[in-house]
Parts: sequence; C-alpha cells; structure tokens
Amino acid sequence: MHTLRIQIRDNDGAVLRALGLIERRCYRLRSCVIGETNDGGRTMEVSVSSSRSGDLLKRQLERLHDVMKVELQPVAIVDGQHSAIRPLGRRN
Amino acid sequence: MTASPNPAVKLRSGSQMLIDALRRNGVEHVFGYPGGAIMPLYDALVGSGLQHYLCRHEQGAALAADAYGRSTRKAGVCMATSGPGATNLVTGIANAFMDSVPMVVITGQVPTALLGTDAFQEVDIFGITLPIVKHSYIVRDIATIPHLVDEAFQLAQGGRPGPVLIDFPKDISTAMGAEPDYQPLPPAEFTLPDTKAIKTASEVLGQARRPLVIAGGGITISDSVQAFREFAAHTGVPVTATLKGLGVMPTDDDCFVGMLGMHGNGAANHAVQNCDVLVVVGARFDDRATGQLAQFAPSARVIHLDIDPAEISKLRRAEVAVIGDLATALDGIRPGTAGRASWRAQCAAWKKEFAWRYDAPGKGIYAPKLLRDLSRLSPGDLTITCDVGQHQMWVAQHCKFDDPLDHLSSGGLGTMGYGLPAAIGVKIAKPEATVVCVSGDGSIMMNIQELATIKRYDLEVKIILLDNSALGLVRQWQELFFNENYSEVDLSDNPDFALVAEAFGIPSRSISKPGEVAAALDWLLSAEGPALLHVSINPRENVWPLVAPGNPNHKMMQANSAKKR
Ligand SMILES: Cc1ncc(C[n+]2csc(CCOP(=O)(O)OP(=O)(O)O)c2C)c(N)n1
Ligand SMILES: [Mg+2]
Repeated sequence: MHTLRIQIRDNDGAVLRALGLIERRCYRLRSCVIGETNDGGRTMEVSVSSSRSGDLLKRQLERLHDVMKVELQPVAIVDGQHSAIRPLGRRN
Repeated sequence: MTASPNPAVKLRSGSQMLIDALRRNGVEHVFGYPGGAIMPLYDALVGSGLQHYLCRHEQGAALAADAYGRSTRKAGVCMATSGPGATNLVTGIANAFMDSVPMVVITGQVPTALLGTDAFQEVDIFGITLPIVKHSYIVRDIATIPHLVDEAFQLAQGGRPGPVLIDFPKDISTAMGAEPDYQPLPPAEFTLPDTKAIKTASEVLGQARRPLVIAGGGITISDSVQAFREFAAHTGVPVTATLKGLGVMPTDDDCFVGMLGMHGNGAANHAVQNCDVLVVVGARFDDRATGQLAQFAPSARVIHLDIDPAEISKLRRAEVAVIGDLATALDGIRPGTAGRASWRAQCAAWKKEFAWRYDAPGKGIYAPKLLRDLSRLSPGDLTITCDVGQHQMWVAQHCKFDDPLDHLSSGGLGTMGYGLPAAIGVKIAKPEATVVCVSGDGSIMMNIQELATIKRYDLEVKIILLDNSALGLVRQWQELFFNENYSEVDLSDNPDFALVAEAFGIPSRSISKPGEVAAALDWLLSAEGPALLHVSINPRENVWPLVAPGNPNHKMMQANSAKKR
C-alpha cells in the first residue's frame, strides 16, 4: 500500500490524467480525496495498492505537466489491512 | 470573446491566432485533412504561408508528422476535424508517444456550447488520447492561444519529447478578438546530470572487465550522437544497439557488435548476456530487446543514463543512475580503460562467428541480401523508412546505417502502415535525401492511399515492396509456436501491386529472380520521381535468429533449429 499526496494545476483533465496514470500503471486505487488549495490548485490524496514501487509511481506522476508536487508516504500493513492514514509530513 | 471597443484595433480570429502562433514556433509544413469542425482553421490556412499537405487518411497525416518530427527533432504538426477525423489520428499519436517523438496535433471540435451533448461528430478526443499524449489542451478562450501554443511546442520538444494535442472548438476558432499581448515563454528548463553520479558511473565502468554499452533511441532524440561516439572512442567499450539506436555507431565500426534482442545478432546477445557492467544510454529495457527480463544480462551492474527519471529502475534496477542531458553525461564519463583486451577479443570472435551470411539456399530472391546490396550501393544520404514485419527486421539486420536518422522504424508501437506516410514526412523534411520505403505486402495496404499524396506532391519516394504473399512475421510465429496452424495469414490473392502503383501514376517494376535485382535497384534509384519496385520473395522465408518468447537472449533459434524452411 502506498499513499501519495499530489498537488496539481486546475487544468482540463488534470485529475483524470493523474488517476488514469495510476490505474494504467497497475496501481489499484483504494481511496482518493480531492481538495482545493488556497491558490486555486487541487490536491489529491490517494491510497493505492500494488506490488510495484511507490517511488516509481511518484516519478511517473511527476512527469505529468499538470502535476506540481508529489509526496509519498508508505503506510504500514497490519494483518493485510492498511493502518489509518497518518498526516503527511513535509519532505524536502 | 474579447472584442475590442477601439475600432482602430485590428481584430483577428482564433484560427488566425493559432496559425500566427504556429508560424512563430517555426512551423513551415503541416499534414492534415479538413472537415466540418475545423473548417475555420482551413479557411485561415489559405495564404497564411504555412504549407499544408493533404494526406488521404488522417492516420497518414499523423504518421507523416511523426516522421517529420523524428528527422527534424522539431514537432511535426498534423490536424484533422472532430469525430472520425480525430479518431483516425489516434494510431499516429500513439506511435509518436511510444517512440518519444515531438508532435503537435490540432483537432477541430464541436462548439463549446455543444460539448458533452453528443453533437454531430462530437468525440471526446481529449479523453481518448489522455494515455498517449505528453500533454493536451482544450482551447476555451482565444486570449490563451499564443501562450498555449508556445507551451505545447515547448512540451512536445523538451525533455523526453512526445505528442501534445490541442482540441480547438469551432466557436473559439471563429471568435474575433484583439491580438492578445504576447509574452514569450522563458526557455525550458534543462536538466543537467548530477556530477557525483557521473563520477560514480566512471568508477563503476572503470572497474569493469567485460563492459558493454547499449545505445538507445534517446541518443538521437537528444542530439547526442557525437558525444556518444567520442565516449565510445575514449572507452573502447563494445557497443550494441536497440532498434532505435541503430546508426548511433556506424554499422561497420569495429566496436559495434550489432542489434540486441529478439531478432538481434548473436554477437550482441552473447555480449549482453556475458557483460559485467552494462551502460544503458537512452534506452528503456523494452521486452523485445531484453528477452526474459529476469535472465537479462545476469551478471551485469547497470549504469543507466536517461533524461526521464521515471525510466530508472522501472524494469531493471540501476546501480548508478545518471539523469539528465545525455551529451553532458557522456562527456563526463571518462573511466580507466585497462584490462579489457581479452573481452574485446571475445566480442570480436563472436562478431566473426555470428556474421550474417547471404548464401541462402533456394532459387528466389533473398530479401536480406537485396537489402544489404541496396544500402551498400546507394548514394551517401539514403534514408530508409520501413513498415512492420519480417521486412522491418531484415532492414534492421542487414542495412548499413552511418546515422540513426537514416533509419525510421516504428519501434514501440510496431505500427503496420508507418512506412509510406513516414517516407512522405521525411522527404518533405529533408528534400535532398534519397528516401526509400521498405514495405511488406500486408503493411503497404494499411496506408496504400498515400500513394496519391506521393503523386500529388511529386515526392521522390522509392518504394521496395517485399511481397511474400503473407503476413510473414505472424506466419513465422504460427509455424514455430502454434504447430503450423496457419490462421488468417495468407495473402496469396494480393492485388497486382505494380498495376496499383501505375493506377496512382507511379512507375513500377516487378522482379522475382536474383539475377534481376541489380538492374532493378539501379532502375529504382535512378528513376526520376517516385517509383515502386515489387519484389516477389519466398513465402516461407523466416527471420533469424529468433529469441523465443520467455527465453533469455542467448537462447537463439537459428534456421536449422526450425522444423521446415
Ligand atoms: C496495425 C497493425 N496490425 C497488426 C499488426 C500485427 N502484425 C505484426 S507483423 C504483421 C505482418 C506484417 O505483414 P507484412 O507487412 O506483409 O510483412 P512481412 O512480415 O510479411 O514482411 C502483423 C499482422 C501490427 N503490427 N500492426
Ligand atoms: Mg508479407
């Protein structure tokens, strides 16, 4: 399970583009919360399950022109269930 | 609409603004096909100074733009109307996406008010192409046009290139407004590779005893061929190439061991399976190149050079990643070169052992030999475009390329029908080049209508049609892996291709005997204007060697391991 926080521009199709990429690259979408930032952009907080690397997904998302920033937080797997999503720390 | 209250201000339509923006971005030639929703743009095209080439199918226009973009490294431009015009472009867009080709695609669209209403010829081309574009736009306001188009070109051509789509609703294309203030975009960011990574790469490569380099298509795309050749000369490391990396090292160069992969050369495949350090430059571990991934280059430490961070460790873990401009990276990697004499001797021995042979049994024309003869007898600047199938692999194996831009092949998508439109695109981009399209009897029918385009613009394109009365590559797989259960691969009722060419006004000749080859090639290359040479070959001929699916690259099937010839 990987959790990512994605900042995107509010452009035509930006959300679809990011979600489409996630599914197409074989990461299964478990949850997705879309919100708005102060400057009119969008944030997406997504949890995905996949045997593939979360870091690779981050780099694939970062290729999209609409994507401004991606933060990746792995979530611990407890008995096959993912634990509650903790707030994402700032990473620089 | 931003109509100006001041009558002195000259108003321009959205279509005129779009064309102005194309011209400002250096566009001279566009490929396309008109229709309802894009009529305002075609109206503005007349007298605009842009030269438009009418292809006879939108797929032809998109593939011609792809080839134009490949050979100029500047975005090829194609345009089509909404609905079926737009969907017909899709294969060409996907082709450009898979091979990282710069392209700008303009589609007409129904008026904004009708979007989402199932209007006549409304199709969500923006949605359909999301997975196969680098970026895309729907134009919603004429004031955004200059900036949007500049950005589209910057994205299409920058970093790892790709196609960018601009969907242009009809009401926007007819809206009038004052010329918006134009602010040029700041130049695109240029990713310079990390000097520490370059140093580590030099160290790891310096420790190698059996090093090998894979030259990929990224070297050509980033205009790093010269830097690559200097790097190769300095290090003396043997070089193999992917399909798209052919010509990065001249075919006859001593250090070049041939193409690797499914239909690669034995020397290349043995070298890659035995190397201890593998430097992968602008390539992406495609399954046709690696064979079974888990057993690919099993003892190699991998150094991966690429502009795209998302390619690093996608399929094979890289011990060292050098991300950014390839030429800068290649200029910086200067390892020690001692202690490799025996490896170089081994590679040279493999080259000798697996050198191509042209003494094929049989009475008919042997296509590999014809292709070898062609590329060795022709004038300096020969550009070969090909279609997809056995003939494509024979071109890759047997033609000689001193420059990667002399070889245009649909790599990632493997698009039958690429050859003819690609020849059109290259000939327009490089009018002085001798352009030869090598096609198959299956592939040529996918875009045969483009013979009309060739004729209309009198493009001197030379076509060699290798006719084996079959979908040869599929037939080969059915022979080898499906118990000779031939299913829908027979084309023995092909049309008379020579007659077809003549019907389009293109001179043609047919040959079927080895003794006729030399004179026919001479005729083809010296004919004025376009010409087609129809070559009948043995329908049972196969492409060798072959790494069967699921096998590592060193397990190559040869001619004598097949049941029948
Ligand atoms: C558009 C498209 N459809 C189907 C295929 C699958 N395919 C790959 S090679 C091939 C046969 C090509 O036949 P031909 O052009 O005659 O070439 P040959 O192999 O006989 O040299 C087919 C059908 C493809 N690559 N592209
Ligand atoms: Mg054929």
